[in-house]
Amino acid sequence: MTKKLVLACFICLSAVSFNRSVTPSNAQTPVSFSKDIQPILEQNCLSCHGQSMQSSRLDLSTREGALRGGTRWPAIVPGHAEDSYMYRLAAGLDKPAMPLGGKKLTDAQLATIKNWIDQGAHWDTDVVVAKTSTNPFAELENAKLPPGAGDYWAFKLPVQAPVPTVARTFSNPVDRFLEKARQEKGLKAAPKADRLSLLRRAYMDLIGLPPKPAEIDAFMKDTAPGSWERLIDKLLASPHYGERWGRHWLDAARYADSSGYENDTDQPNMYRYRDYVVRAFNDDKPYNTFLKEQIAGDEIPNRTDDSLIATGFLRLGPRVRNHERANPMRRHDYLDDVLGAIGKGMLGMTVQCARCHDHKFDPILMKDYYAMSASIYGYVEVEYPLGPREQADAYMRQLTETEDKVAALKERIEELDEPYRHKLALEEIRKKFPPDYVRAVEKPESERTPGEKLLAIQVLERGVQIKSADADKIMSPEDAAKKKALNDEITAINAAMPKAPPMASIVTDGDWRSVPLGYGDRNEGACPKCELEFAGAGKYIEFGPGNANYKVPTSFFLMRGDPDSKAYPTKPGFLSVITKGNTPTEIPPANGRTSGRRLAMAEWLISRDNPLPARVIVNRIWQHHFGKGIVPTLDNFGKMGEQPTNPQLLDWLAVEFMNKGWSIKQMHRLMMTSEAYQMASAYNDAVSAKNDPDDTYLWKYRIRRLEGEIVRDNIMAVAGSIDLTMGGPAIFPHVDESFIKTLFRGIYRNQDDAPNVWRRSIYIYAKRTMPNPMLQAFDLADMSQSFGARHVSTVPTQALQLLNADFVLNQAQLFADRLKKEAGDDVARQIDLAYRIALTRPPTSRELSMASDMIGEGSLVDFTNVMLNLSEFLYTR
Amino acid sequence: MKNIWNRRDFLFQSGGGIAGLALAQMLYDQKLLASPRMAPADACAAPPVAANPLAPKAPHFKPRAKAVISIFNTGGVSQMETFEYKPALEKYAGQVLGGDVRVHDGRPGPIMPGVFKFKQYGQSGKHVSEIFPNIATKVDEIAFLHSVWGRSDDHIQATYEMQSGQLRMGYPSMGSWITYGLGTENANLPGFIVLQDARGGPLGASNNWLSGFLPSTFQGTPFLGADNPIVDLKRPASVTAGQQRLRLDMLDKLNQMHAEQYPGSSELAARISSYELAYRMQGCAPEAVDINSESAATKKLYGLDEKITEPFGKQCLMARRLVERGVRFVQVFSGGLGVQNTDTWDAHKDMKENHAIHAKESDLPIAGLLTDLKALGLLDSTLVVWHSEFGRMPLSENGVGRDHNPMAMTCWMAGAGIKGGQSIGTSDEVGYKAEKQPISYHDLHATILALLGIEHTRLTYRYNGRDMRLTDVAGELIPQIMA
Repeated sequence: MTKKLVLACFICLSAVSFNRSVTPSNAQTPVSFSKDIQPILEQNCLSCHGQSMQSSRLDLSTREGALRGGTRWPAIVPGHAEDSYMYRLAAGLDKPAMPLGGKKLTDAQLATIKNWIDQGAHWDTDVVVAKTSTNPFAELENAKLPPGAGDYWAFKLPVQAPVPTVARTFSNPVDRFLEKARQEKGLKAAPKADRLSLLRRAYMDLIGLPPKPAEIDAFMKDTAPGSWERLIDKLLASPHYGERWGRHWLDAARYADSSGYENDTDQPNMYRYRDYVVRAFNDDKPYNTFLKEQIAGDEIPNRTDDSLIATGFLRLGPRVRNHERANPMRRHDYLDDVLGAIGKGMLGMTVQCARCHDHKFDPILMKDYYAMSASIYGYVEVEYPLGPREQADAYMRQLTETEDKVAALKERIEELDEPYRHKLALEEIRKKFPPDYVRAVEKPESERTPGEKLLAIQVLERGVQIKSADADKIMSPEDAAKKKALNDEITAINAAMPKAPPMASIVTDGDWRSVPLGYGDRNEGACPKCELEFAGAGKYIEFGPGNANYKVPTSFFLMRGDPDSKAYPTKPGFLSVITKGNTPTEIPPANGRTSGRRLAMAEWLISRDNPLPARVIVNRIWQHHFGKGIVPTLDNFGKMGEQPTNPQLLDWLAVEFMNKGWSIKQMHRLMMTSEAYQMASAYNDAVSAKNDPDDTYLWKYRIRRLEGEIVRDNIMAVAGSIDLTMGGPAIFPHVDESFIKTLFRGIYRNQDDAPNVWRRSIYIYAKRTMPNPMLQAFDLADMSQSFGARHVSTVPTQALQLLNADFVLNQAQLFADRLKKEAGDDVARQIDLAYRIALTRPPTSRELSMASDMIGEGSLVDFTNVMLNLSEFLYTR
Repeated sequence: MKNIWNRRDFLFQSGGGIAGLALAQMLYDQKLLASPRMAPADACAAPPVAANPLAPKAPHFKPRAKAVISIFNTGGVSQMETFEYKPALEKYAGQVLGGDVRVHDGRPGPIMPGVFKFKQYGQSGKHVSEIFPNIATKVDEIAFLHSVWGRSDDHIQATYEMQSGQLRMGYPSMGSWITYGLGTENANLPGFIVLQDARGGPLGASNNWLSGFLPSTFQGTPFLGADNPIVDLKRPASVTAGQQRLRLDMLDKLNQMHAEQYPGSSELAARISSYELAYRMQGCAPEAVDINSESAATKKLYGLDEKITEPFGKQCLMARRLVERGVRFVQVFSGGLGVQNTDTWDAHKDMKENHAIHAKESDLPIAGLLTDLKALGLLDSTLVVWHSEFGRMPLSENGVGRDHNPMAMTCWMAGAGIKGGQSIGTSDEVGYKAEKQPISYHDLHATILALLGIEHTRLTYRYNGRDMRLTDVAGELIPQIMA
C-alpha cells in the first residue's frame, strides 16, 4: 500500500463509516480525561491494551487507538457510551467482562467512563502509559506449581514392586499381578483357550492376517514344548507385523497423505514416514530411539535418511497451505497441533489444555506450555532431498538459485509484457465495465479520487485477465525477440537443473516467518498488518557450506493464547512437574544449523527420569492385546483420565520395558506368553460375571472387533486376492462417484476395483477431506488429532457395505472360486475349507449341514458372502 | 455397557415387533413402500430402542422444536444483496472505507452500492431484495439475524466454525452434537442426513458432517436420490431378493449361534440387530426420499416443474419428508463445486450474476418448504435455519464482485415457534462489521440447541481431558428469538 492510500484511509475514517454526530451529554459536569479517566485506564486497562501489549489488537494508549478499536469493534464511539465496547465490556453488558480476570470497576468509575464517552470522549493527553511494575509479567514468568503438585501416580517414576505371591504358580510375572487383583475381587480365571482360537488370536494381533491352511496344520502338528513361543517369534519376524503395529502408531501420529482444509494438498512424500514407521516396528527399533528420531531426527549426531523422514511426525497435523503469509496466527495452531501430538501420543498428557490458562486438573502451567512451544518454535516444514547432507544441501542451494534466477527472468518478461497487457486490459475494461469505472481507469493517477484509485487498482489488477500469450499477439517484433531470448534462457536454466533426488517431507530449524510464498500468498496488501509480521525475518532454512549460527526467532508467552497478546519472551523448557534439576533445554549441534532445542526435548522425553513415555507405550501395547488399556484412556494419564486398573502391573511393565532396551517385540513376547492372554473368551462364570461384569480385571479374554483396515485385509486374504507388496506411494481403492463429487482440491485418483488396489489397507491414500468410506464406517480415527484407542460402533452402514459393496461381493466371488479350485466340487470339502480359511477352525457338524443346505438352496457365493459378514469373522476370539 | 441390548426387546420395541418387521419386508418386496403417497409407513417409523446410541434422549428442558433443517449456502452470501437493506451504500458509493480494512484477496476496492432493489414486505415491513420474491412473503414468520460474525475469512475454516464451532479440522459438526444429545426418532433412517447440492461439494467436503471425536454413529449420512439414497444401500443387481433373504437368514442363524457363546454381549447383539436395521433401511430410506409419490401441487410448490428450481426444490422436499419421518437433523446445501465463482455463492467476480442465479434456484423451494411444513403442522416442531459461512464486503472486488467478510453476515430462522417478523442486530451503516448485538457462531449454536431443549453448557463429551462442547467456552442465547 502506498503512503497516499494510507492517508486516504484516515481521511475517510472520519468521513464515511464513523461519521456520527456527537450528542452533547445531559448536563453532567464535564469529565476530565487526565484527571478522571487516565488513572482508570492506567490501573485497569493498559497492561493488556497499551503500548507493551495490544490484546485483541486494541491499544487504549491513544485516542486514535481507542476509536479504531480492536479486532472487531471500535472501543469508543464518542457520544454513545452504550454503543462503545470499552464501556459495554467494563460494565459487563457484553462478554467477556473487562478487565479480564481482574477486579471489576466500581459503579462510580463506570459512571465516569459513561459520562466521559457520552460527552464526546475528549482526550487531553497524547499517549498514556500503564502504571505497572518494571516487569508486568514477572508473576507469569515466575509461576510455580503448588507444593505437592507432583504427588500423583503418573508423575512419580515407575518402580518395580515385588511380583506378588499368589496361591497358584505362574511362570509369567504378568499373571501374578493379575491373579492378585482377581483374588481380591473374587474372580476366577477362565481356562486356556483351544489352540485354534489362540492361533487366530496371535495372527490377528500381530500381523492382522489370517493363518493359511498350511500354517494351521503346521502349528497343530507342532506339539513340542515351546510351540506357542515359536509361533510368536515367527509372527514377530513377519514383515506384516510392522504393517499391523505401524498402523496403531499412525493413529497416534495423526497420519494423513493430504494436508487438509480447503486445498487438502497432496503430500506426495509423506508415505515415506508411513514406511519408516512400518520399518521401525519390523526392526524393533528401540522405542526411545523411535521417539527421538521423530522429534529431532535432523538434529541427532548420527542422522540418517530414516531419522530425517521420522521428523515428518511433527508436521503430520492438518495445515491450511493457503494465504499462510496473511495469517501468521495460524502458526500458533500448528504449534499447538504438534504439542497435542507429543502430549497425547507420547506423554499421555493433555498439554493443550494449558494454551489459554493453567491446566484446570493437572499440574501443567501455562508457562510450561509456552516453554514447550519455545522448544519446537524454530521448526519449519520442508521437502528435503535424502542422501548425505552435503549433497542434499548442494541440491537445495542449486534449486533455490535456479528458482531465483528464473524468477528474475520472469520479472523481466512481465516488464516486457506490461505495456501490451495494459493496452489490452484497457480495451477489455471498456467493453466489460460501466462508464464510471472506465473513467476512473483512464484518468491519470493524480486526478483520481481516493475511491477511484482503489477502483482502478482493482479493475486493472484483477478485473480482467490478460495472459502473457495475449500480449504476444500485438507485441513489436523487437520485444517479441527479447521475450523469446528470455524464455529460452529460462528453458536452458531449467534443463541444467539435475533431476530431483528422492525427497522427504521433514522438519528442521529455520525461520517460519520467511515461509516461501505459497498458494494465495501473492495478494500483497490484503492484510498490511500481517505483512509486517514477516518483515525483517531471516532465512527460511539454511543451506550452505560450513557452519551456521542459527537463532530461533523469539517466541512469546501469549495471554489467553491470543497471538496479539504477547507477554514475556519465552525460553525453551518442558513440563515442570516431571522435570528434574538442570535438564538441558538446548543441545546445540556442532554445525550450528539448528538450535538443539528439539534434541533436548527428545532427550528429556526418553530420559529414565521421565515417568510417562514408557508407561504410555506399554499401556498402548496392552490395549491392542487385551482390548483395554490398564489405563483405559490411552491419551490421558492425567486426573481427568481413567485411573489404572492395576497400577503395580503398569509400573512393573514400564520398568521391564526400559530394562529390556525399550524393545516393543519383547513386550509382545511377555504379554502374549502370559496365561491371561491365552484364556478362553467364551467362558461363563456366574460369580465372576456378577463381581466384575465388564471384565475389568481380566478373568476371561475380551473379544474385539477388528479395525476397518484389518476387516478389509482379511476379506482379501480369505479370497486369496491380496497383494502383499509393501510400502511405496498410496493406492486409491474405488469409491462411489458421489464421494468424488464432494472434493474441492487435492487429489484422489479413483482406481477401479481391481488387483492393483487389493493391497493392505495401511496403503490406502489417507485423504483428510475424504476418509475412505469403508474404513470410516468401521470407526477410522479422525486424521486431525492424535488418537489412541478407536471407537467401536455397530451401525447399519457396516452391514450394508459387507452385504452390498462391489468390493465385498467381488471378493466373495473370488473366495468361492478359490474354494472350488482348492477343494474341488465337493460341497462339504468347500465348506470345511471355507471355515479353516476364514475362521481358522473346521465347521461343526451342525454348521456343515446348515451350510450345505444353504448352498443347495442358493449358491456357493451366497455362502461366502455370509462368511465375510459373520460376527466371528469380524471379531477376535 | 451394563445395558444389554436384548434382541427380543429390540424387536418388541421397534414399532410393532415382528409384525412390523414383516410388514416392512413385505412392503419392500412388493415395492409398495415406494408407491403412492402414504403416511410415513408405520413399519418404517419405529424409534430406536433404549440401548441403541441413537435412542431418543430427553432434552434438558421443554423443547420448541424436535428437528432442524439447516440450509447452508456455501460460498458466502452477501448480506447487502439479500436481507439487510443498506441504503447508505448508495450514499458512499465509490468512496474509501476507512479504518484497518482487511480483505481476503488483493486490495480493498471502494464502497459498492447494493446491486439489487429492495422492497418492503409483510406486516413487519421488512426490506427484502428483489431476488427473493417468495421468501419475502414469509418475512412475518422469519427472525432475521443481521449481526452474525465469525473468525475466519477463509471458506473452509469459516465453514468449520459454522458447522462445528471450531476453525480447526476434526471437531464434531452441529448435527453430530445434536444427534449425540437427542438421538433420533426413527431407527430405520440415520438421525443426521445430508442433502448435497446436485453440483457436488460443499466446500470443506465431508468434514461438514463428520463426528470428529464423537463416535461415528453420530456422523451425517449423505443421501443421494431416491433411486439409491445411501451408497451401498441397494442390493446390487447381481444379487436377487431371494438370494439376499437367504444370506440374511443364514447370517442371522450363525450369528445367533456365535452370540450364544457370549451371553450378555451387547456388542454382538447390536451387530445382529444392525443387519435387521440395514435391511429395513433398504426399504425405508428410498421411501423416505421418494418424491415421486408427492402430488403435482406439492411438486409445484417446491419448483420441481421448473428447470432452475428443480434440483434445490428436490433437496427441500426430501428434507421435509425426512423430518416428517423423525430424522433429527437435515443439512441441506445450496451451492456446490465446479466453477467456484458461479456454482457457489462465492461472488468475487460478479455479484449480480452470481446471487441472481443462486437466489433464483433456492427462493421458491425455500418458500415452498416453509409453506408445506406449516400446512402439515410441522413448522412449529421444526427449526429452519438459513445461513452461510460468512457475509460479503461492502466494497467492490474485481470491479463488480464482493470479497469475503466474516465480520457481518445475515442469517435467519423460522419455525420452532420462534418470534417471526423481527430483525435482530444490525451491522454498521455500510454492512462491514456487526454493530448492534453482535452474534457469534457460538451464540447461534447455543440458540439452536436451546430451541431443541438443550442447555448448551450441558451438552458435553469428555475428550482430550476436557468436557468438550459445541460452544467451546462461549455461547450466549439470542433472547429475542423465543416468542
